[in-house]
Amino acid sequence: MTASPKAPDDKGITDVDNLAQRFERLGYITDRGLATAVYLVTKLRKPLLIEGQAGLGKTEVAKTLAAMLGTRLIRLQCYDGLDVNSAVYEWNYQKQLLAIKIEEKTEQTVEEKEKHIFGREFLLERPLLQSILAEDASPVLLIDEIDRADEAFEAFLLELLSDFQITVPEMGTIKAKYVPYVILTSNRTRELSDALKRRCFYHWIDYPSFEKEMKIVRARLPGIAEQLNEQVVSFVHAVRQLDLIKPPGVTETLDCAQSAMTLGKQRLDVQAVEETLGCVVKSQEDSAKLKAAGIEKMLS
Amino acid sequence: MQHEEPERSAASIIEFCRFARDNGLPIGVQQTLDAVEVAKTIGAADREELALALRAALTSSKEEWDWFNELFEIFWSASQRTQESTSEESKEARFSTHRPQASSRATLAQSANEATSADREGKDVSGASAQQRLQTVDLSDVPGDDLAALEQISARLFRKMSLRLSRRHRIQNVADHVDVRRTIRRSIPRGGDPIDLAFHGKKPRKQLLVIFLDVSGSMNSYSLFLVRFAYALQKYFRNVHTFLFSTNVVEISDLLRNRDLSVALRGLSGRAAGWAGGTKIGESLKEFNLRRGGKLLSRNTVFIILSDGWDTGEPAALAAELRKIRRRVQKLIWLNPLLGLEEYAPVTRGMSAALPHVNVFAAAHNLQSLLALERYL
Repeated sequence: MTASPKAPDDKGITDVDNLAQRFERLGYITDRGLATAVYLVTKLRKPLLIEGQAGLGKTEVAKTLAAMLGTRLIRLQCYDGLDVNSAVYEWNYQKQLLAIKIEEKTEQTVEEKEKHIFGREFLLERPLLQSILAEDASPVLLIDEIDRADEAFEAFLLELLSDFQITVPEMGTIKAKYVPYVILTSNRTRELSDALKRRCFYHWIDYPSFEKEMKIVRARLPGIAEQLNEQVVSFVHAVRQLDLIKPPGVTETLDCAQSAMTLGKQRLDVQAVEETLGCVVKSQEDSAKLKAAGIEKMLS
Repeated sequence: MQHEEPERSAASIIEFCRFARDNGLPIGVQQTLDAVEVAKTIGAADREELALALRAALTSSKEEWDWFNELFEIFWSASQRTQESTSEESKEARFSTHRPQASSRATLAQSANEATSADREGKDVSGASAQQRLQTVDLSDVPGDDLAALEQISARLFRKMSLRLSRRHRIQNVADHVDVRRTIRRSIPRGGDPIDLAFHGKKPRKQLLVIFLDVSGSMNSYSLFLVRFAYALQKYFRNVHTFLFSTNVVEISDLLRNRDLSVALRGLSGRAAGWAGGTKIGESLKEFNLRRGGKLLSRNTVFIILSDGWDTGEPAALAAELRKIRRRVQKLIWLNPLLGLEEYAPVTRGMSAALPHVNVFAAAHNLQSLLALERYL
């Protein structure tokens, strides 16, 4: 499927359940669907596109995968106006100019000087180039919030994901020795191009169920009291039913639980919620809506 | 697990892919091959595992994701019943109960369904004169047989317009490249070395379109057509945000992002259900300003509002909200289908209060007038 000279090294992942267990040991609770998708990524080396609302653990998947495989995580944060220079490489012009000045008096030929000037020490390697220059093992390449970049960038990315090679005109074509595991995330603020979507496996992350969310809190905050855990999760679930502009994700649940623990609360009462309101709602309107719905009512 | 084996065979996977393609999932040859490879990779796993793996390989959006689950259920449970390849009839019969039903409460969905199903059966439009006639027919008054043809023409013309508009923007995107003259100037204090590089102008920021549609009473059919307009623009103009309003405001941009127009239109009725009573233009604008104005109103926004101006609220409030918007956006366009009537003059309280704050006041009663918007965008 991809032009990889080395055989993929999957560090002994036997099956989907095995992968799910290893993720769980690293503190990330998956469901079978996600575990399957990640498993396919490790075996078939196709990229994975994860879509879903903010705060549901999309970025964490890549981090956990890197930790599980014992390999490097390379992260490219996308934004509107992201271009090839910031994503792939750029020449360090200033350093090159200084080097030219320094070498003015030396004995080397023009060709030798030119070769030196356009060598790797003057190349600023940005994430995408870094990901194909890995020397010892396949890294995990996380392309975060790809929906914030534009179509031109997507087109470039598509090319990269097909060949895993980059052409630097002064240096030639660089091919990946170790093909990276690629994970793309999107908040679905816009529709991605068909070609890019077809190139990847797809997973949709939804809000977790009650039990699953409690499991996540337990995994991330080992000392938490069961009663507090249950109350926090049930409260956040109730808040999600309100029509907020920014419904709370799992990150917010964890924040709320952690804050409650830090404040030494054993249970979640109205006062505790009001003190930690900023963990769960993130704007004036949402805060007003929550208060209008009645915190007392939602805690019961 | 022996009886599971035949299900996992390449042939059955391929047939499933064909079944899925016939029922709405866009699955090409490459993906069918991927699906076979994926099935092989997960090996002798249970049926749920197979479903999850195929879903990861064959879908690429939340909607397809949900739809896949149903398709898989139908296909594999049917095939378990019969030994050989399943009968098409039994699949089809069960299918009709699962396929998402169109809710037909609001007028929006009603006419949308009629229009799009007719569209699928409709033949090619005949002759230039028919086209001319259809471009000028009033949108609230389209005769039944013409509806499908009008759909087709408008889809085609909107698409062309969107392409022209997006191309205009692409050409304007001047790439960052070094401005040699300014660089040389800057090198003077550096002893002649171009250490500080100067670049040509930054990329112009992309234009954002906000469309605000009145769906009360008589405005309904006009708005429906403008939704198609928004849908076509949405595909080529990345930043289009569409809102419906009457007494409340609701955003439908995410619905319009659907690949299939009929699905998008079906979803509309659910969103805008239960709205009764007079139009509250001023209040709706106020809510919009409060909730979304911060992010959406900027120097490169073009704000289009389609309404006949019949407001049951205070004209002063309407004027105030429009002033807020006008101050922040590049252009505020008010489309009024009544302008298509010869005797119309904007004398109602609402409309006359609004008029001074508007950049462009134009008609939107037929296809021709909608296409004329191109020069304002």
